[in-house]
Amino acid sequence: MTRQDDGTPLLAIKNLQTHFATADGLVKAVDGVSFSIRNGATLGVVGESGCGKSVTALSVMRLIERPGRVVGGEILFDGKNLVDLPDDEMREVRGNAISMIFQEPMTSLNPVFTCGSQIAEAISTHGGITGDEAHKRAIEMLTQVGIPDAARRAGEYPHQLSGGMRQRVMIAMALSTNPDLLIADEPTTALDVTIQAQILELMKALRERNRMAIMLITHDLGVIAEMADDVVVMYAGKVVEQSDILTVYEHPHHPYTHGLLASIPRLGEKRERLEVIKGVVPNPLNLPAGCLFRRRCPNAMPICEVAPPLQEIAPGHLSRCWLTPAGDPPSVGEAPGTDAALVAAAALSVEQ
Amino acid sequence: MASYILRRLLQAIPIVIGISVVSFLIVHLTPGSPVDKFRTPRVSPETINNLIRLYGLDQPLPTQFVKWFTHFWTFPFDNSAWGYSFTDGLPVRDKIFARIPSTLWLTGVSLLVTVIIAVPIGVLQAIRQYSWSDKIITTFETIGYAMPTFWLGLMLKQTFSVQLNLFPLFGENSFGKNGDILDLLWHLALPVTTLAIIQIAGWSRYMRASMLEVLRQDYIRTARSKGLTERSVVFKHALRNALIPIVTLLGLTVPALLSGAAITETVFSWPGLGWLSVQAVTDRDYPVVLATVMIGGVMVILGNLLADIAYAVVDPRITY
Ligand SMILES: Nc1ncnc2c1ncn2[C@@H]1O[C@H](COP(=O)(O)OP(=O)(O)O)[C@@H](O)[C@H]1O
Ligand SMILES: [Mg+2]
Repeated sequence: MTRQDDGTPLLAIKNLQTHFATADGLVKAVDGVSFSIRNGATLGVVGESGCGKSVTALSVMRLIERPGRVVGGEILFDGKNLVDLPDDEMREVRGNAISMIFQEPMTSLNPVFTCGSQIAEAISTHGGITGDEAHKRAIEMLTQVGIPDAARRAGEYPHQLSGGMRQRVMIAMALSTNPDLLIADEPTTALDVTIQAQILELMKALRERNRMAIMLITHDLGVIAEMADDVVVMYAGKVVEQSDILTVYEHPHHPYTHGLLASIPRLGEKRERLEVIKGVVPNPLNLPAGCLFRRRCPNAMPICEVAPPLQEIAPGHLSRCWLTPAGDPPSVGEAPGTDAALVAAAALSVEQ
Repeated sequence: MASYILRRLLQAIPIVIGISVVSFLIVHLTPGSPVDKFRTPRVSPETINNLIRLYGLDQPLPTQFVKWFTHFWTFPFDNSAWGYSFTDGLPVRDKIFARIPSTLWLTGVSLLVTVIIAVPIGVLQAIRQYSWSDKIITTFETIGYAMPTFWLGLMLKQTFSVQLNLFPLFGENSFGKNGDILDLLWHLALPVTTLAIIQIAGWSRYMRASMLEVLRQDYIRTARSKGLTERSVVFKHALRNALIPIVTLLGLTVPALLSGAAITETVFSWPGLGWLSVQAVTDRDYPVVLATVMIGGVMVILGNLLADIAYAVVDPRITY
């Protein structure tokens, strides 16, 4: 499927809230996330483990399971709000217009069915072709994702393939229905480095060929640099910075983004040890008041007791931090520092 | 696969010998002797001594064991291979073989009923975990599992045979109706119900657990992400995996069908192997006890082998 680019984004998430009512309390895994993906573009979603990236992706697929639930917001795709789409219509979208691949290639394929039949199943579910034809198409897909001797591999079971090969099978399965959007949730995290690079190359090549958009989830900004046009940085269920890729790399604003950038290992660069952000993601059951990053933040200021809103600091560049657009602490007497501004900001952050 | 089976059968030989030694010793070391019941004032000591010599009980235990063990395995050709019953003098082999069809009817039908009912119950409970239906069924399962077989059998008999007069009180055939299949099924109804109720309780728990385990696997999420219907996700992707341990369990159980259901058979006077072995133990009928213990042991070994083979058949990840 190719779409007219009339300016409306392919996917627009608006103020998405996905909560888990666990026995220990309410986990606001995704708490007011908004972003959109243009046709054919690649959006990178980064953040440490536990920031709500997978939950965001699974919300789009409507695969959140109890005790989780999308409690608010909209997910607009192709003119439809996926949040309240009837089940049968959602099944038409799932695996067809939007496909997803997962972090764990070792466990994501059903062990008792052959790889070929699992791909053919996706094809016949949506494609209107069945039986031998679907199987032939499955073999074609395996060839496309660079699996040698595809016809034989199609007849093999997942356990007979390596992790990298299984991820290729997952990609073949996801792309077999020509989706408009591919959601890739840490597709290379579980693979070793050389295989990672191969899989990323493959995804790039297939993106060109299929002209699809990709939502690429990772905790590695290095992977984003390879692939993405735009970046969303998430922290503790919220978007903390959002912009195009160049801006994020050259003028990162949020201290969390600075921290993530500092922790990318660079080839040929001798560093004693990788810089990592000190501390851990706050306990989702017991989030601190004010800025959620404040306890780990090297720039923490008194004003951070008040949660900052996500503000546009430059055209198309959003950041959830009190620092001035230039990255300086806001001076007292200047706009955000005044008592009136504090109150306004506090009110804003309640809404957010 | 063939070489694997052969290897397993060879490995089984020392185990069978071990089972034989232990069963032989247990039977012989229990206090009392099979000739005890002849020791009445009217039987002379010479007669008793003659009996002891006749049965070979005067010889050293190892000799008795070797004689018994080597003779035991000639049973396909020799109806005296398992000796003669102390109670009626009939060849033990023939006594046991005569009981096998009755036992197979009872255990086979009840296993079939069990699986047909327990699998869907377990699946239903798993897909509605913690719902009211799951909780209610769980309660019944716990009751069923805890209920003593003999008590359940007696209650069913009391209600449906004695009070309502719907089913026969005992046996497997009405007088003069040997070979009448409808009559047999009529007699089977209560003993099968007894066994099935208790087995369903266990098997459906097992099925529920297996299904729950599978439903939280990553590949189930993958199946959903493909846009499959919930029916296809549950009954194709999940059930196929959840049945793997069930089939293995079935492999373990099938040979045990032969050992009979001693308690149920006794309650309903069902002329099977289980009842026979209970009677034999009560009568100190050594040859019969030994033969039934041996059959039980060999069946456990065969069951394990069958379970492993079944596992390889249903799970592509297992190859030998
Ligand atoms: N099934 C669940 N039950 C309770 N909490 C969950 C569940 N799934 C995810 N969460 C919570 O949601 C938050 C975000 O998780 P996730 O989206 O998986 O993070 P990541 O960014 O690493 O993909 C975590 O704090 C996690 O504890
Ligand atoms: Mg994740």
